[in-house]
Amino acid sequence: MAAPATSRKAKGETFKENARKKDVRTTNIEAAKAVADAIRTSLGPRGMDKMVCQANGEVIITNDGATILNKMTVLQPAAKMLVELAKSQDVVAGDGTTSVTVICGALLKKCLDLLERGIHPTVISDAFAAAAEKAVQILEAIAIPVDLDDRAALVKAANTSLSSKVVSQYSSLLSPMAVDCVLKVLDPARPEFLDLKDIKVVTKLGGTVDDSEAVPGMVFDQKASTSAGGPTRVENAKIALVQFCISPPKTDLENNVIISDYAQMDRVLKEERNYILQMVKKIRASGANVLLIQKSILRDAVTDLSLHYLAKAKILVVTDVEREDIDFVSKTLGCLPISHVDHMRPAKLGHAALVEEVPVGKGKVVKVTGIERAGRTATVLLRGSNKLVLEEAERSLHDALCVVRCLVHKRAMVPGGAAPEVEVGTQLARWAKTLVGMESYCVRAFADALEVVPFTLAENAGLNPIAIVTELRNRHAQGETAAGINVRKGAVSNMLDEAVVQPLLVSTSALTLATECVRMILKIDDIVPVR
Amino acid sequence: MSVLQQGATEEKGENARLAAFVGAMAIADMVKTTLGPKGMDKILQSMGRGHEVVVTNDGATILKSLYVDNPAAKVLVDISKVQDAEVGDGTTSVVVLAGELLREAEKMVLQKIHPMTIISGFRESCELANKRLEAVSINNEKDEKKFRQDLLNIARTTLSSKILTHDKDHFAELAVDAVLRLRGSGNLEAINILKKPGGTLRESFLDEGFILDKRIGVGQPKRVEDAKILVANTPMDTDKIKIYGARVRVDSMQKVADIEKAEKEKMHDKVKAICAHGINCFVNRQLVYNYPEELFADAGIMAIEHADFDGIERLALVTGGEIASTFETPEAVKLGRCKVIEEIMIGEDKLVHFSGVALGEACTIVLRGASSHVLDEAERSLHDALCVLAATVKDKRVVLGGGFPEMAMARVVGEAAATTPGKRSLAMEAFSAALRAIPATICDNAGLDSAELISQLRAAHAADGATASGVDVITGGVGDMNKLGIYESFRVKQQVLLSATEAAEMILRVDDIVKCAPRQRQE
Repeated sequence: MAAPATSRKAKGETFKENARKKDVRTTNIEAAKAVADAIRTSLGPRGMDKMVCQANGEVIITNDGATILNKMTVLQPAAKMLVELAKSQDVVAGDGTTSVTVICGALLKKCLDLLERGIHPTVISDAFAAAAEKAVQILEAIAIPVDLDDRAALVKAANTSLSSKVVSQYSSLLSPMAVDCVLKVLDPARPEFLDLKDIKVVTKLGGTVDDSEAVPGMVFDQKASTSAGGPTRVENAKIALVQFCISPPKTDLENNVIISDYAQMDRVLKEERNYILQMVKKIRASGANVLLIQKSILRDAVTDLSLHYLAKAKILVVTDVEREDIDFVSKTLGCLPISHVDHMRPAKLGHAALVEEVPVGKGKVVKVTGIERAGRTATVLLRGSNKLVLEEAERSLHDALCVVRCLVHKRAMVPGGAAPEVEVGTQLARWAKTLVGMESYCVRAFADALEVVPFTLAENAGLNPIAIVTELRNRHAQGETAAGINVRKGAVSNMLDEAVVQPLLVSTSALTLATECVRMILKIDDIVPVR
Repeated sequence: MSVLQQGATEEKGENARLAAFVGAMAIADMVKTTLGPKGMDKILQSMGRGHEVVVTNDGATILKSLYVDNPAAKVLVDISKVQDAEVGDGTTSVVVLAGELLREAEKMVLQKIHPMTIISGFRESCELANKRLEAVSINNEKDEKKFRQDLLNIARTTLSSKILTHDKDHFAELAVDAVLRLRGSGNLEAINILKKPGGTLRESFLDEGFILDKRIGVGQPKRVEDAKILVANTPMDTDKIKIYGARVRVDSMQKVADIEKAEKEKMHDKVKAICAHGINCFVNRQLVYNYPEELFADAGIMAIEHADFDGIERLALVTGGEIASTFETPEAVKLGRCKVIEEIMIGEDKLVHFSGVALGEACTIVLRGASSHVLDEAERSLHDALCVLAATVKDKRVVLGGGFPEMAMARVVGEAAATTPGKRSLAMEAFSAALRAIPATICDNAGLDSAELISQLRAAHAADGATASGVDVITGGVGDMNKLGIYESFRVKQQVLLSATEAAEMILRVDDIVKCAPRQRQE
C-alpha cells in the first residue's frame, strides 16, 4: 500500500471544528442536561414529587418521570429528544423512566468533557455503543431467573417499583393486586400476547387507597339508570351488550314528521310509545335482564320513555358504554355485541350471578360478579381521598403492572437500589483497562457516568453520597454483585436480602435507550430552521 | 430608465453570476458535513405549528425542507430531489460535487475565462470521467453468490453514514433480503415499512408477509386460514343518498320507523352481497359500523375497518386482489388470497398479520427504536438503502467506494487536461480538482488531514492505474477498498456525476437574474 505506516495511527479520532458547530452541540447537550437535572430529584424511594401546573390550570402531582416530561412544554429540539426517550422507556418497560433520563443526562455530561479533549463525536458514539452492549451482557450475567409461578418474587419486584411513589405505604395491597391481575390476564400458552389493555382500572374518588380492590368480575364507572325507577340489583343476570338505540326511530336522511292537526299529534305520540314498547318487548323476550347500552352521538341512546318501559320490565340499564370498551366488555362478560333489536338471541347474552349498583364514596358503580364465561381480563377499582392522589395511584399501579409484564417478557430480575448500575460501572471500568486508545477512555467515562444513579439515590435520601458511592464501589470490587443502597437504613447492604429487586428488562432497556439517545444527540452539528 | 415593473429587480453580468455562485456554494457547504461515514446529522426545526423536530443525515430531506430564496440554490435543491427520485441515494454527494464545480468555476471566471469555455471543458471532462467510471465498474451478474455479497457491501456502505451504522450488518441483510424478494421487479411498493416505538434498532425484523396496523372487529374470528380477502372502499356506516338537501317528509312515526328499517335492510343486503363473494376476510378503507360488523361476525367473516389508503392499496397489491366499491357482480371482482391471517403483537399493540400472500415478493420491515426521531431517520436510511439496492438490481454494475471512483476519474481527467491545448484544459483541471474534493470532504468530516491523505491517494492512483485505494475512514489512512468491502452502486455514482455537471453548467450559463415584482397582497 502506498500509505506509510505513520498514517495508520489513529488520526480519525481527533476532532477540530469551527466555533459554531461546537456551539450547537454544546447547546444541545446543555439543554438535554437541564431536562435531566429537572427530574433528577424524583429518583428513588426518597425522591421528591413534582407539581406540574398545566396551561389550563389543572395541577398534577407526580413522581413518574415520563409524566413530568410529558407535561413539560419544552421547545429546544434536543430537550425534546429526552422527552421522547422517557416516552419510549415507558412503552418498552413502563418503569424506570426517571432513571433513563438521569442516565442520559450523566452520559451527556461526560460527553462534554470528552468533546473538550478533542475526541471525535463518532468515536465517542461508537465507544458508547460498545459499552452499552457490554453493559447488557454484564446485567444478564448477574440476573436471577424468575419463575412466573413464584408469586412472592413478582410481588417483590412490584414493591420496588411502588416504593418511590406516593402510594408506597399501600404497596402491600397494590403489589399483590398488580401481580394477580397480570397473571389472570396472562395466557400461559401465548405469554407474548400479554396486553395490559385487558386490565381495566376504574378510579373513584372517596375513601383511601386502602379501600381499593381487585374486583372478581367487572365494574362500570357509570351508575345504573334509575331515573324511571329501574332495578339496581339483579341476581342471576343475563346481560345484553347493546349497540342499537332504544329511542324513537331516526333515519340517516334528514326527516320531518309533518303534523297538521291535533289528532295527528296524538297519533304520533302513541306510535312512538308503541314503537318503543315493541322494542322493549323483544328485549324482554330474549330473556335479558341487564342492558349495557353503547353511547351514541347521532341520537339518544335511550330516552326517558324507553327507560320507563325498561324499568317496568325489571331490566337494569347501564348507558354510555364507550365503543372502545366494547371489545373489553364482550371479552370479560362472554357476551357478543348486539346491533339490532331483531338480533336479540339468548346465545349472545352473557351470564353473571349478580349485577348490582354499589355506592362507592360519593358516586356509585355497577358491579358484575360471578361471571359464567369470564374471559382473560381483570378489573381494579382504585380509590383515593382526592383527585391528585387518585391519579398518581393510577399511574403508580400502571408502573407496577408494567414491571410484572416486563418479568413475563424477560423472566429475570436484578437487584435494585442502584446495585446493577454500580456493578456495570465496576465491570466496565475493569474492561476499559483492557482496551487501548480513545475507546478505552470513552468506556471509562461511560462507567463513571453510571455512578450518577447511586449518587442521586443517596443524595435524594439525604445520605452522604460520596461515602455511600465509595463504599458501594468497594463492595462491588470485592465481588458483592448485589450490594446496593438501603435507603431505609441509610447504609449499604445486600439488596437481595432486603427483597429489593427489579426486572432485568427495565435496567437493560434504560441503558440501551439512553445510549441510543446520547449517540443521536452527539451526531448533530447543526440546527436548521425549516418550513 | 427601467423597463421592469416597479418592485421587480434585475441583477446583471458579474453580479448575477456572483449571486448564483454564492447561493449554490452556501447550500453545498451546508450539507457538506453530512457526507461520509463520519458525517454529522442536522436538526430540522420546523417554524410552523408544533415546532416539530426532525433529526436527519439525509441530504434530500434537509434540502427539501429548507427555506431557499436564491435561484441557484433552488437549482441544487432540485437536482438533489431528482437524484432522490431517480436512484434514492447520493443526494448529498450530487450537491457537494455541483458546489465544488462552481467553486472552481468561480476562480476561473475571475481569471476572465469565458463561461462557455469552462462549460465545454466540463463537458469533455464529464464524458471522460463517465467512461472511466464504466471502465472501473465491476459486474458480478453471472455469479449469484458474489452478486449478493456485492449488494450486502453496497447496503453496508450506504448505511454506514446513517443512524443505522452500528447495526449496519443487520440492516444490510434485511434490506438485501427484502430487495431480492422483489426478484428484479424493483417495485418498492411491495415493501411495507412499519414503525413501532420501543425496543432497540437491532430488534427490527423482516417479516415475510404483510402487516396491517389495525384491529379485527369484535366477536369475529381472530385467525383465518386459507383466506379469501375482499379489499373494498365503500361506506359501511350508512349508504347515504348524496343529494344536497334530500329529506324525508312523513306524517307518522311508524313511517319514520319504516324508513329506518329500509335503511337497515339496505345495509343488510349490502353485507349479504359482500358475503356472496365467498370471502372470509373483508378489509374496508372506511368505517364499518356496529350493525354490519355484527352481521359479519355472524357470518364468521373477519372484518377490518378503517384501513388507511396506503394500507389497502398495498394490501390489494400484495394479495393480488382489486379494490372494490360495488358488489353486484361477485364474479367480476378479483379477490385477494393469502394462507393465514392472524393477530400478532408488537410492543404494546396488536396488529393483523397476513402471511403466505399471493405476491410472494411482498414483505414488511418492522422497525423498532428508541423514539419517533430514531424511527423516522431509520426509515429514511433504510429507504435510501432499498432504493440503491433496487437500482443495483436493475443495473448490476458496482464500483468501489470510499472516494475511489472520484480519484480514478480525477486522474483520467487530469491526464487529459495535460494533453489538451487551450483554455479548456484549465477547466478540465478544475473538474479534476472538484472531483477530488469529495474524498477530501469525507476526510475533513472524519477529522482527518485531508490535504495529506488526498495527495497520498493521488500518488497511489497515478502510480498504478489498477489500484483500489480509497479513504479508509476507520483507520484514518489509505486503504484497499476491495479488501474493506466498500462498494457503491454504479448507477448512483453515474447519476451524481452527470446531474452535478449539468447543474453546474446550468448555473454557469446564467448572466442575468430577473426577479419579478412580488404580487401585491390585498389588505
